[in-house]
Amino acid sequence: MATAAPEQILTADGTPLKASLQKSLMRSKMHAAGLVFPAFLFLVIMFIAPIGVLLTRSIDDKLVNQFLPNTFALFEQWDQKELPDEDMYEAMFLDITGADKTLLGRATIRMNYEVSGWRSLVKKSNREFKKIESGPYKEAMIKVHKRWGEIKYWQSLGAMVDNYTMGYYLNAFDLRFDGDKNVIEQPENRQVYNLLWWRTFVVSLLVTFFCVLLGYPVAYLLATLPMRISNLLMICVLMPFWTSLLVRIVAWMIMLQQEGVVNNVLVSIGIVSDENRLAMMYNFTGTIIVMTQILLPFMILPMYSVMKGISPNYMKAAQNLGAAPSLAFIRVYIPQSLPGVGAGVILVFIVAIGYYITPELVGGKDGRLIGNMVAYHMQNSLNWGLASAMGLILLTGILVLYWLYDKLTGSAGMKMG
Amino acid sequence: MLGAIREKSSMKTSIKLALAAGAVAFTAGMSGSAFADIVVTSWGGGYTASQQKAYGASWEAKTGKKINWENYNGGLGEVRAMVEAGNATWDIVDVLPDQIRTGCDEGLFEEIPADMFITTGGVSFDDDMMVPRPNDCAIPQIFWSYMAFYQEGTYSGEQPDSIADFFDVEKFPGKRGIHTWANALIEMALYADGVAIADVYDVMDTEEGIERAFAKLDTIKDHVVFWSSGAKPLELVSSGEVSMSLAYNGRVGAAILSEGAAFVPIWDGQVLEEEWLAVIKGSKNKDEAIDFAIHASAPEQQAGQAKWINYGPMRKSGLAIIAANEPWYNTGVNIMEHMPNRDEVMPSSIFANPDWWADNGSEISERFTAWMAQ
Repeated sequence: MATAAPEQILTADGTPLKASLQKSLMRSKMHAAGLVFPAFLFLVIMFIAPIGVLLTRSIDDKLVNQFLPNTFALFEQWDQKELPDEDMYEAMFLDITGADKTLLGRATIRMNYEVSGWRSLVKKSNREFKKIESGPYKEAMIKVHKRWGEIKYWQSLGAMVDNYTMGYYLNAFDLRFDGDKNVIEQPENRQVYNLLWWRTFVVSLLVTFFCVLLGYPVAYLLATLPMRISNLLMICVLMPFWTSLLVRIVAWMIMLQQEGVVNNVLVSIGIVSDENRLAMMYNFTGTIIVMTQILLPFMILPMYSVMKGISPNYMKAAQNLGAAPSLAFIRVYIPQSLPGVGAGVILVFIVAIGYYITPELVGGKDGRLIGNMVAYHMQNSLNWGLASAMGLILLTGILVLYWLYDKLTGSAGMKMG
Repeated sequence: MLGAIREKSSMKTSIKLALAAGAVAFTAGMSGSAFADIVVTSWGGGYTASQQKAYGASWEAKTGKKINWENYNGGLGEVRAMVEAGNATWDIVDVLPDQIRTGCDEGLFEEIPADMFITTGGVSFDDDMMVPRPNDCAIPQIFWSYMAFYQEGTYSGEQPDSIADFFDVEKFPGKRGIHTWANALIEMALYADGVAIADVYDVMDTEEGIERAFAKLDTIKDHVVFWSSGAKPLELVSSGEVSMSLAYNGRVGAAILSEGAAFVPIWDGQVLEEEWLAVIKGSKNKDEAIDFAIHASAPEQQAGQAKWINYGPMRKSGLAIIAANEPWYNTGVNIMEHMPNRDEVMPSSIFANPDWWADNGSEISERFTAWMAQ
């Protein structure tokens, strides 16, 4: 029967009201989703996907398995106490002579991270092995390159046997696997990452501290002075923010170096003698000064936006009730401005912890932070596994700090604007 | 009244025109590479300028094609990302010795057989090269060097003239500028410590050798100012911040040749580094890129580059052209005496061994960072 049920209410164009309503709700839902979709897509492409890639990069270790299937098949049986026997040499011989050129190149670069020297060992062997026609291989291989007779190269394979590894995370903390998968320390003269983590943390903390110290009064002035003056002041805050980073760095060099403006002035008015010019550039001090100046706007702006919202009436009320201006400021104004301080602290700390070009330029021998090593391994050593591991450690550290902050202040504690 | 209206409407048109022009300029800027036939990525500054003026211009004139020059900060990060994504936006890249080796190993570059290169005077391509090609990806470019230099008048009496003097802060007091990475420093330290040039890398292959190099570096450590960008050492020396510094020879030469700076180069113990071009694997304009690469490595083109910068051609025939036609530099002065790979300085120069650095670079980098931090 084609007749509609009598109890159904129809809209003007004859469709049932319920369906029509559903349709219109659906449409508005789609509309909302459509509006959110670009933001969602942005988040996936710019944030979630790269982190996923980073994560897989930092644990993936299939390359050497693909390169040395025969050798790894025998590896577990080897006791790692003395040089392997003929079978394993033969397996290695077959793996090297049978490998695809690109795979060989990429795998040996990876193997070279474990023990320096793998790369040229395999490359030379690859050339020379073509002349070896039959076994026994052990002696012939050691003749091609004496490193085949050094046990440390064979032992280092132990750290690369599995398809997945935590080795890069260990490397990021000056540790590594030995051949038996025990965690051991890196040789002492290569231990550098722990120091750099610590230095990065200290630099970020100091820069954040000085930003609060310098930024708070400025933000307070911006928020309380009459519009006409505070606008001018705001421009003074934003001007350096809009100036090229390199220009600001070079300006600081000119100001602070030993033959620079500040030292010249101090010497000419006799505060400092010519031989004892202050070293304020190309060291730790320089790093802190320059980074503080560069990151200051990130502190001032969120503080300002919160302070702007604090009604002057609270201060008046406190003083009316008998508090001295200083006490009123401490007990009434500061607590209300804390969300802005918190936002500024988080912002500056997060930006500072990833800085590396600025410290490299102004920090001299103290200018190397963890970010430099990430860049080095991305660009030069192509050790993307280690770079990814360090990147994720940084990210995790920041998330933990953020979580701590959130716990301490409550979820409404932070206002970005 | 009428005039005002006319003026208004003409203003409208001119705004429209300006907007249209802006839009065109914007799209052109966005997709500059789309209009160019090949994209060549190099280091920028005077170096890229020398490439553009020498073989860039002559290739464009010869083929009628267009090159888009891009800058980068070195390393293979971008190249690897491009090749892995299968979307090469560059065609040619100008790389350091370590990178030509790791890049070719990783399969990031196209291979170009030796017989494709232009030869001259009946000398085979291989015999014309001052160093052998490390692999089939490498396209010869130039030699540059790390060298010490100081400003005239810094010292009265005896003048420093060897790398051993650079490491001798008692004989020649004052601060020293050195770079923030280990390349060349290890070699220089060992040579200054008395190791013969031919033995430097054998010594570096041993643990004691590396320790000896760091011990030598320790002797100047308290007097060191570190630099990380190429312009910095010139500024450090001319401002008197340091008395002597290491620097790229091209920077020192340019300051002397173009600005008349009173710098004195110390050629003894300079460390010569190779510079190569490479065609990126999966280049969308592979044929043009290879054609350009062959053109750029021809002897006359190599020599032509030295009109604009004092980096030495990798091909002997290129160097010979310069020597025979002095004054060769664009300002009408001799350039040969600023060439890092001219005959007179070779006996006291160290050829960097990039294979050693490809093997040990990461480890030494960590040790050097630890040394700086101590």
